[in-house]
Amino acid sequence: MQEMLKGRPASPAQQPGLAAVRKVVLYHEETVRENGAAPARPVQRASVAAVVANPWLGTSPSTSLAEEVEALAPLLARLLVGKLLDALGGADRVEAFGKGALVGTAGEIEHAGAMIHTPYFGNLVRGLLEGESIICFADARGDAGHSLVIPMWHKNHAATRSHYQTVHAHVSDAPRADEIVVVAAASTGPRPHPRIGDRTTDPTVTVDILKEARA
Amino acid sequence: MNVRKVVTIVEEVRREGGREVSPAACVAVVAAVIENPWAGEGFVEDLGPGIDAVASDLGKLLASRVVEALGAPVEAYGKAAIVGLDGEIEHGSALIHTLKFGDHFREAARASTLLPAVEKRGPAGVAFDIPLKHVTDATIRSHHQSLEVRVADAPHPDEIVVALAAAAQGRPQQRLAALSSEQ
Repeated sequence: MQEMLKGRPASPAQQPGLAAVRKVVLYHEETVRENGAAPARPVQRASVAAVVANPWLGTSPSTSLAEEVEALAPLLARLLVGKLLDALGGADRVEAFGKGALVGTAGEIEHAGAMIHTPYFGNLVRGLLEGESIICFADARGDAGHSLVIPMWHKNHAATRSHYQTVHAHVSDAPRADEIVVVAAASTGPRPHPRIGDRTTDPTVTVDILKEARA
Repeated sequence: MNVRKVVTIVEEVRREGGREVSPAACVAVVAAVIENPWAGEGFVEDLGPGIDAVASDLGKLLASRVVEALGAPVEAYGKAAIVGLDGEIEHGSALIHTLKFGDHFREAARASTLLPAVEKRGPAGVAFDIPLKHVTDATIRSHHQSLEVRVADAPHPDEIVVALAAAAQGRPQQRLAALSSEQ
């Protein structure tokens, strides 16, 4: 807050660190029943969304994004994962994870990607959630109130089909045109009633099966 | 009471009007997605038995969870009932407009005023705004506020979303003159 830039008070986008965060929204859901039956074990899903000022507003497509990413993305990762862990009860309870970014209409889709696709965000989210998989994601540009559906998969074994699932992230008044919503998401287990097999149980399926199918 | 899922949302505002909000302004909502107790029964004249079966347990569940989610003394509060498309708005109102439901929250929040409410019918994913007012004096203008909520897959046509909202303070950057200053 005390940062001064050329004698003028800094705007949020120019301030270092988390001063650029306008709002943080936690969404948490616990499925008690699905299709009339309780899941084999209760699963909780959560997303945490931070609304930040877009630090690259008005910059050209050739502008390097590295400096701001290195300054802000690690702090966002810590903020978002900290709240995820509070909501879900710790990294040892987290089984699946995902991430997302939604850039306002005055920004570039690359600005959304910059916030979540570098090691400065991804490696920290993975490390803090104690996972090993690559993290699946959604990134988009949209107006305030746009609902982002965050895909998640298993934090150690990405191909584990039972853990393919999504959770919503929604901030009613963000992103404004000059903002970015950055999201981390996690789940404590699989879908409520997973029963579509896995790679280990699948038969060999190729396009040849279409030869026998009716048009 | 047949609960399908319980949703918790916590909003924390750190900046408003370009200025820092310190401490951050915090509002929490807990919503239960339940089966409409009167689903498939046609027009039910006497809603009393359904209210008796559901309202108190539901009020108790939501009150304890929303106070826990807020993690601070409750200064403003509100409630909501969003009925799926096959139900009557009267079904949602039945569950929330009874002391059996609201008193759990009043007790947990050390509150005394009426809970402001939104009742609405809509499809899954419908957005609704929960109005909140001060817990002991509904004329305290600084605490008039609302929070938008949306549960992506609820209510189904035969469900009701019932929610409680709690705020730890008034609006961020609140600066309106008190009602008494105009009287």
